[in-house]
Amino acid sequence: MFTINTIYESAVTLIFGIWFLLTILCQFRDTRMSAFIRNTIDIFGLIPLWTFFAPNPGKSDYHLLYRDKIDEQTNGEWLEVDITEERSFWSWCWNPEKRDKKILSDVIQNLVSSIPYYKSANGYDLLMFSMPYLIVLHAVSHCDCKRPSTQRQFMLAETSGYLQETSPAVILLSVFHQI
Amino acid sequence: MISLIETNQIILLLLGVGLFISTMEYMKKIQIFSPTGLLSWNVMQIRWEKSSPDSFLKPLFNLFNEKGLAIIFGLRCLIIFALLFFPLETTYGWILVGLLGLSLLASSMITFYGSDGSDQMNMLIIITLFLCHFPLAQGSYLATLGLWFIGLQTCLSYTVAGIAKLASAEWRASTAIKDVFSTRTYGSRWAAVFLKKHPAVNVFLCWNVMIMETLFPLCLILPFNYALVFIIWGFLFHLLTAVIMGLNSFFWSFIATYPALFYINHQIQWHLF
Repeated sequence: MFTINTIYESAVTLIFGIWFLLTILCQFRDTRMSAFIRNTIDIFGLIPLWTFFAPNPGKSDYHLLYRDKIDEQTNGEWLEVDITEERSFWSWCWNPEKRDKKILSDVIQNLVSSIPYYKSANGYDLLMFSMPYLIVLHAVSHCDCKRPSTQRQFMLAETSGYLQETSPAVILLSVFHQI
Repeated sequence: MISLIETNQIILLLLGVGLFISTMEYMKKIQIFSPTGLLSWNVMQIRWEKSSPDSFLKPLFNLFNEKGLAIIFGLRCLIIFALLFFPLETTYGWILVGLLGLSLLASSMITFYGSDGSDQMNMLIIITLFLCHFPLAQGSYLATLGLWFIGLQTCLSYTVAGIAKLASAEWRASTAIKDVFSTRTYGSRWAAVFLKKHPAVNVFLCWNVMIMETLFPLCLILPFNYALVFIIWGFLFHLLTAVIMGLNSFFWSFIATYPALFYINHQIQWHLF
């Protein structure tokens, strides 16, 4: 005979079974099923992706820079949003700075991976409507203005860190946006 | 052997320490949720409006600003503190764990970018503890099931990470750790310079991580003395990634799962021998 206890135990067992199965399926990140589960079902991010630092080990530091348009012929200097700063001695136990870096790194990786999906007859214009692009644009548009400017451009760049084994590279150069 | 109740309580305690630090770190960086911050709700809400414009979660959206999230994080710290006085087995303890889970689910809606594997492990553990300690449920079946779920997810996490690394040309070429350590984001100058001078150490570290991660589930079935090798390796691995890479929250969230591994190992050994 079924009791409430048995029904509850069976329900929890089923939940864990489905959760574990979905976790295994979602480790194959490039499959359609994985994309469907992540984007449609998993609204709270409950299905983990356990492929830490693999297959791409993440060997770049990302930089976010912006500049203002002074007039039609002249642009201001590039200024960097201070995110990739060196860690302190205490970061092994207290490391709040990692959040900004992780956000920027996630946003850039998401932006780069979504570039092919936003290609249209007009090039990559539609990329400007993507979520990661808007996050970056929103962040730079609120950075301090040294001069009364109404147009701002941003650049995402990558460097190879301390050893500087590869040259810095531009990932994305935006158009000038009204701010 | 450590009891079922003690195992769950130790997991909650270790998780609580990590979650407290992680929440205080978010409090320190609360400006990222301000209208001008990187995770401003002005922009982040687009994701929700696109997928479910009439979501039942809409009332929660009013909390997604500096002030609202500071309240959520502050309450979370209080709940963690209160859990020191109310064990998981009590009704109050179970309610507190439920509230902790709710606060994690709420904040996960805005930390879509920036959260990492440790946040997901924290959420997984809290939800498991909540579901498995329902006060009206009788017997030890659910508490044991919860430990198995946490243990198997932990083993899956290491194995997937190990296999993904084995499939990567950069990891097999033994350049990956030096490259990661040379970044300002996850590295250290001294570690990068040291590994550049000593390529053999780099080869050892890369293959050590790949092999140990892939074989990690053996810790469930090997006799405890041998399983301990994996547990100690895991402890040192997370300690070193915290020291060198600044991944402090991974240390607490993954070490919190080790009592479950310990429990499963003993249960398997008891059934086998």
